[in-house]
Amino acid sequence: MNPLTELQVDTLTEIFNIGAGRAASSLSEIVGDPVMLSVPRVQLYQSSEINAEVLSLNSPRLGAVKQHFSGPFNADAMLLFTEDRALEIVHDMMGSQVSINDIAEFEQEAMCELGNIILNACLSSMADILKLTLDSSLPVYSVGETNAVLQQIILDANQPIMLVLHIDLAIEKRHSQGYLVFLLSSSSLQELLAHIDHFISGI
Amino acid sequence: MNSIPVKNSFAFSGKIEGEIAGKIWDSIKSGLILIDSAGNVLLWNNWMAQHSAIPTELALNHSFESLFPDSLSVSFKTAIRHALQHKLPVILSNALHRSPLPLYLLPITPDKQRIQQSITLTPIPTGEGNPLCLIQIVDATLSIKRERVLKSHTERLSKEAVTDALTGAYNRRFFDERFAAEFGRAQRQNIPLSLIMLDVDYFKLYNDTYGHPAGDKVLTSIVKALKSQLHRPTDVVARYGGEEFVVILPDSKTEGSQIIAERLRSAVSNLNIPHSESKVADHITVSIGIATYQPDTDCNATHFLEMADTALYSAKHGGRNCVRHLTTTEGGKPCMDVSFSPSPLLV
Repeated sequence: MNPLTELQVDTLTEIFNIGAGRAASSLSEIVGDPVMLSVPRVQLYQSSEINAEVLSLNSPRLGAVKQHFSGPFNADAMLLFTEDRALEIVHDMMGSQVSINDIAEFEQEAMCELGNIILNACLSSMADILKLTLDSSLPVYSVGETNAVLQQIILDANQPIMLVLHIDLAIEKRHSQGYLVFLLSSSSLQELLAHIDHFISGI
Repeated sequence: MNSIPVKNSFAFSGKIEGEIAGKIWDSIKSGLILIDSAGNVLLWNNWMAQHSAIPTELALNHSFESLFPDSLSVSFKTAIRHALQHKLPVILSNALHRSPLPLYLLPITPDKQRIQQSITLTPIPTGEGNPLCLIQIVDATLSIKRERVLKSHTERLSKEAVTDALTGAYNRRFFDERFAAEFGRAQRQNIPLSLIMLDVDYFKLYNDTYGHPAGDKVLTSIVKALKSQLHRPTDVVARYGGEEFVVILPDSKTEGSQIIAERLRSAVSNLNIPHSESKVADHITVSIGIATYQPDTDCNATHFLEMADTALYSAKHGGRNCVRHLTTTEGGKPCMDVSFSPSPLLV
C-alpha cells in the first residue's frame, strides 16, 4: 500500500533526515568520532504485510527500542536493529573490548540510549517543522527471536499502519542498517498527513 | 513563573502533601533534581545533598549549571534542552557516560571516588506551558561491579570449558570445533593447512616404571615445550587423548610444517626427561605425523584427520622419535607420502 503522494513522501523523508542529522551530531559527541546517519527511504505498510523478509532482517534475533508518543496523533515509535548489529554499534560507541556474546544489562541500557537519541531527534524535528507538540514515554529495550518480536509489535500496537524508515548508520568505518518504525492508527495517519499538507501549502 | 515552593505545593491523591512529599523524596535512595525552564533548581533531595556535598539550601533556586561549573558535558546540556524544549524524555546510560556528574561514594574521602551513574531526564508538564525537568540519578556502581565479576567468571568458565585440566592445552572438544572451522576455511579460501599429530614414545612403559604422577608431569612439560615453539596466535595445541597431542597450523605448507614438526620433536627430546625403558632413547621422545592440505585438492576433514593419524602410525613403525608427512594430492586419495624427516636419532 502507498497512499502517500510523492510530495508527502519527500517532506517526511526531509523531516526525518533533519532529525537524523541532529541524532548524528549527538552521537558523535558521545563517540568522539564522526557519525553519519541518514534516512534514505520512507515506506508505508499495512502491519499485516510486515515480516522479517519484507524488512530483510535476516538475523535470528532482533533488538527493539520503543517509545510511545502522543499529541495531535499517537504512535508507537520503534528502532529495530538485528541483535548482533545493535551490539556492534554499542561496542563501537563504548570502544569496549567486551565480547559480542556478553549481552549485559548495561549494554542494553546503552542500546536504549542510542534508540532514545535517534527517536528523540526524529520526533523533535517533526515537532519543530510541523509546529506541534508531542509527549513521549521513556524508551524500553527488548530483544528476542526476530519473528516473535515483530509479531509482538503488531499485536501490542493494534494499530494497522506502519510507517517504515530505512536507517543508515555509520560509526567510524562500520555501516549498519536498521529501521525506524512508526505504528499509527489510520486516523493518526490522516492527522499526520494533514499536518504535512498544511506545512507543504505554507512553503 | 515556575518558582514553586518545593515543600508545600505538590499534592498526591489529595492526602499526601507538602512535608510528607518532602520526606518521601528525601528517603529515596537515588538522586532527584527538578529544574525549571530557566534551568533553576526547584528540588534537590537528600541523596543529592549527600553525594554532591552541596547542601539543599545552597542548591535551591540556583542555576543547575552554576552548581557544576566545570563538569556539565555537552550531552548533559543537550539532554536538558531536549527535556525542557521538546518535552522528550532522555536516557544517559552508564555504558556511554560512566559518571557525568561529580557525585561521590559515601563517605566522601580525600581521593573522592565518583559514583557510576545511570541518569533519566523526564519532562514534567505544569499545565502552564513551560514544563519542568526531573533528573533521576541511579547509583550504578554496584551493578557495574557485579557485572564485572560475572564477566570475569564467564571468561574463566569459558576458558576452562575448552582447556585440558592437566596440561593446560586445549581439550578435545575445542580441537574438534577449531579443526572443522580451520579446514572449512582452508577449503573456502584456497589456503594450505597443516595438522601435526604427536604421541609420546613408550609412555605406558614410563607410567609403569615411574608412576602415574610422574607421567602426568611429563605430559605437562611436553605441552609447555610444544607451546614454546609455536609463536603464531592462530596455532593451536590440543590434547587429543591420553598421551596424544595435535597441533593445528593454519596457512602452513609442507616445508613450513616440517620445520615446525622437527622443532617440536627436538624441543621434547631436549627436555631430557630420563626414560630408562624407552627403546629409542634414554629419555622421553615423541613420534610425529603431519598432514598438509594443499589448495585445490580433493579431501574432506575426516579423511584429512585420518591422514595425520596414518602419518603418525608410519612414524611409530618407522622407528619412533621421528617425523612422517603426508600431503593431499589432486586426485584425492591416496595421499602420497612425500617426505621423511632424518632417520630416528638413537641417543
